[in-house]
Order: sequence, then C-alpha cells, then structure tokens
Amino acid sequence: MTLRVLDPTFDNDQAVQATVSRLPSLAGRTVGLLDNGKLNVDTLLDHVETLLRSQHGVGTVIRLHKSDASRPAPEDVVRGFAGCDAVISAVGD
Amino acid sequence: MTQLRSPIYDLADIVAVNDMYHRRGWTDGLPILPPTEELVQDCLDAAGLAPSAVISVESVRQRPITAEKVAINAVMAGCLPAYMPVVIAVIKAMCQPEFNLHGSTASTGGSAQFIVVNGPIRQRIGLNATHNVLANHSRANACIGRAIRLILINVLGCVPGQLDRSTLGHPGKFTFCIAEDEEDSPWTPLAQQRSIPAGASAVTVMAGESPHQTMNEWTRDPKEIAETFAAEIRHNMLTYSIWAGNYALIVPKQLRELIAAAGWQKHDIQEHIYRSARVVRRDWATVGKQQIVNLGKGADQRFGALHSPDDLLVVAAGGPAGGFGAIVPPWLGSRSQAVTQIIETP
Repeated sequence: MTLRVLDPTFDNDQAVQATVSRLPSLAGRTVGLLDNGKLNVDTLLDHVETLLRSQHGVGTVIRLHKSDASRPAPEDVVRGFAGCDAVISAVGD
Repeated sequence: MTQLRSPIYDLADIVAVNDMYHRRGWTDGLPILPPTEELVQDCLDAAGLAPSAVISVESVRQRPITAEKVAINAVMAGCLPAYMPVVIAVIKAMCQPEFNLHGSTASTGGSAQFIVVNGPIRQRIGLNATHNVLANHSRANACIGRAIRLILINVLGCVPGQLDRSTLGHPGKFTFCIAEDEEDSPWTPLAQQRSIPAGASAVTVMAGESPHQTMNEWTRDPKEIAETFAAEIRHNMLTYSIWAGNYALIVPKQLRELIAAAGWQKHDIQEHIYRSARVVRRDWATVGKQQIVNLGKGADQRFGALHSPDDLLVVAAGGPAGGFGAIVPPWLGSRSQAVTQIIETP
C-alpha cells in the first residue's frame, strides 16, 4: 500500500507573470538601471553601466531611482523604463 | 476529492514522503505529515472552502494563494482541520498592502510573522497563552505558525538563498504564534483594541524580529516596570533599527498583576513607552556607531520607537511566575505594519 500525497508548491499554470526570453545581444540596445535607494547603489550602478557600455556595446542607459528598497518601484518609475530593451533592478546594500 | 488539482505522487511510506519532500526543498527541515488527499480534504471541509478558492493574492508577483495549497501545507505542518480558519486569517492579514509581505519576507533583515490570536477560538483549538508561551508546548501554536512558514516556502517561493535573503533569520521562522491570556487578564484584548468586536476571534500579525526577554522583579511601580521594557526598545533602536513602527510587548501574569494593581490599563503602558522609548542620534556612539552620529540632522536628532501609542501591541501572555517580559521588535520600522484580521469560521 502506497501513500498518495499532493504537491505543496505553487502551480505555475496559475502564474500571471512570465519570464521574457533573453536578448540575443545587448549591442546597441537601451538598458534601464533601477537604483533601489540603498547605500552605495550609485557606486555599484556606475560600475555596471561602465561594463555594459565597454564590454557589451549597450547604446543607451536610462537610470532611475526608487526611494523604498522594500517595495516595488512606483508606476511613474516603471513608465520611465518603457523604451528599454532590458532593465536591471539592482540592490545596493 | 476529484476537485483537487495538485500533482499526486505515489510513494512507498512516510519515510519516502519525507525523503522526497526534503530533497525538493518543500519543508523547513523538520519531518512533515504526508499530505494525503483525505487529510487535505478534511482541512478544506473544516474551512468550508473549495480547493480552487483564492484566499489572497500576493501583490508583487501576483501569486494567488489557493485553499488547496493552504490545506496541503497545513497538513504537512501538522495542523488539525480545526486550525484552518486561523491559518486562513493569517494569510489574509499578511497579504494586506500595509503588511508589505514581499519586502518583509525577502529582506536580509530576516523577520517572521508574529501571530497573536484573540477570541473564543483560542480555547476551542487549544492554543497556549501561559507557560512557555513563546516556545514549545501546544500543537496549535506550533503547527499554525509552521503552516505559515511552509506556505511562504512552497507557494510564494520564500526559500532561503532564493527569495528569502535573510542574513540570519531567527527561530521564530519555524513558528511564532501565541494566544492572549484573556481569561486571566484585566485588560482589553489586543484584537478589541484594534476594533474587533468582543466575542469575535481574530489574529494580529506583524513582521517581527526575535523576541528580547527582560526581567524586573525589584519594583511594584508600573512606571519602573514599563521603563524596563522601554529600555530594551531603546537598546534595539540603537543596536538594530532606529525606525519607528509596531513593537509587541508580552506581559506575563506577575508583572501584569503589579501593573494592574496600580490601576494601569494597556493604554497607560502604551502612553508611557511612547514617551520614554526615544533616543538621540549621539547615543549611537555608545554602541559602536560613532560613524553615523553626525549624519542626518546631526547629533541632537531625536527618534521615537512609536509613531503613536497605538503602535505598541500589548499582549497579556506567559506563565504565572517571574518578573519576565519580552519585546518583539519590528522588522524595519513601519515598512511593514501589523494587521488584525477577523477569523471566520464556517
């Protein structure tokens, strides 16, 4: 006699959000960098921007800021990234 | 029974179930009870819910938390069906926007859901409010808090190192659920202070750090007793987090009787601590934080632990002997606010 047991995890077919496919290349693309407002995030993002431009040929970088690291970015900040091909939501700490 | 939608596994025995569930990261590290269809259905029946009923939606990642997944995790945690209304109420509370569930569970700060139960359901399901109240004893306290942790892990992905980025966490992340000792307290129960009608059952949930135990057996003066709690809060403000928010205060019987004998109600404690739990920026120099004394508005900048006296959640609970008490500090000031939710029984 076996035990018939149920899966306790989230059922992915109920997900309303999905992961987009990866970009084949960042060359010439527009990338957004979201600063989460924590200490030293500017230093981290300066470095990331340098790497994106020098090593990956990123064309444009849009940098925006949210003031509360523990909550999602406000709508206006999200809209500010509307033209981006990719966004990096960074954690400074 | 046929309505259950979760994938089913046929496994040899309870050991095989535990092996697989542990291996897949579906537990908190302790053994679980196998969530069979029958046990899960019993929990759903006790809650009067269809498996597909959505209890709440976690707002950041828009994940619905269904009754079926709640029941599965509750069975795994060891819950009896009668505990389900409490588990459901906790989920509803922590999915309120002001609770900031995503932030408080993902943070390096490592909080746990501190649950206080009020009302007649406490006695019906055997929740402990007295001896060893913050620790082991009652199945209901242990398993309700554990069910919430398993739901966070399995439904919301709060897996350490993944969404849960806690640097340390604390033991309350296994379970952190108490009842208020209403029968042996002269004071207004917490839920009624927070607008729940008398006679109803409710949970109050806050994103809490680990409790700090205090002791003062050398006075009968309620101001001095309250001052010991205030000092522990001031200490937490300096060594952990300066930001004002909900603090919980656990007041066991010995101190409760002394405070009440002086004619103090909960609001007198709240008022005293609101006025007393304050620090100035220069105090940081006393705890190794000289580097930040002159930032912000300078060394004389004042900080209070509470935005208002109501921020303090005073709970009558604990064993009868000893001048002990405890504070439960907030995760990060008012970035997460305590929520009180009525418990609905079918």
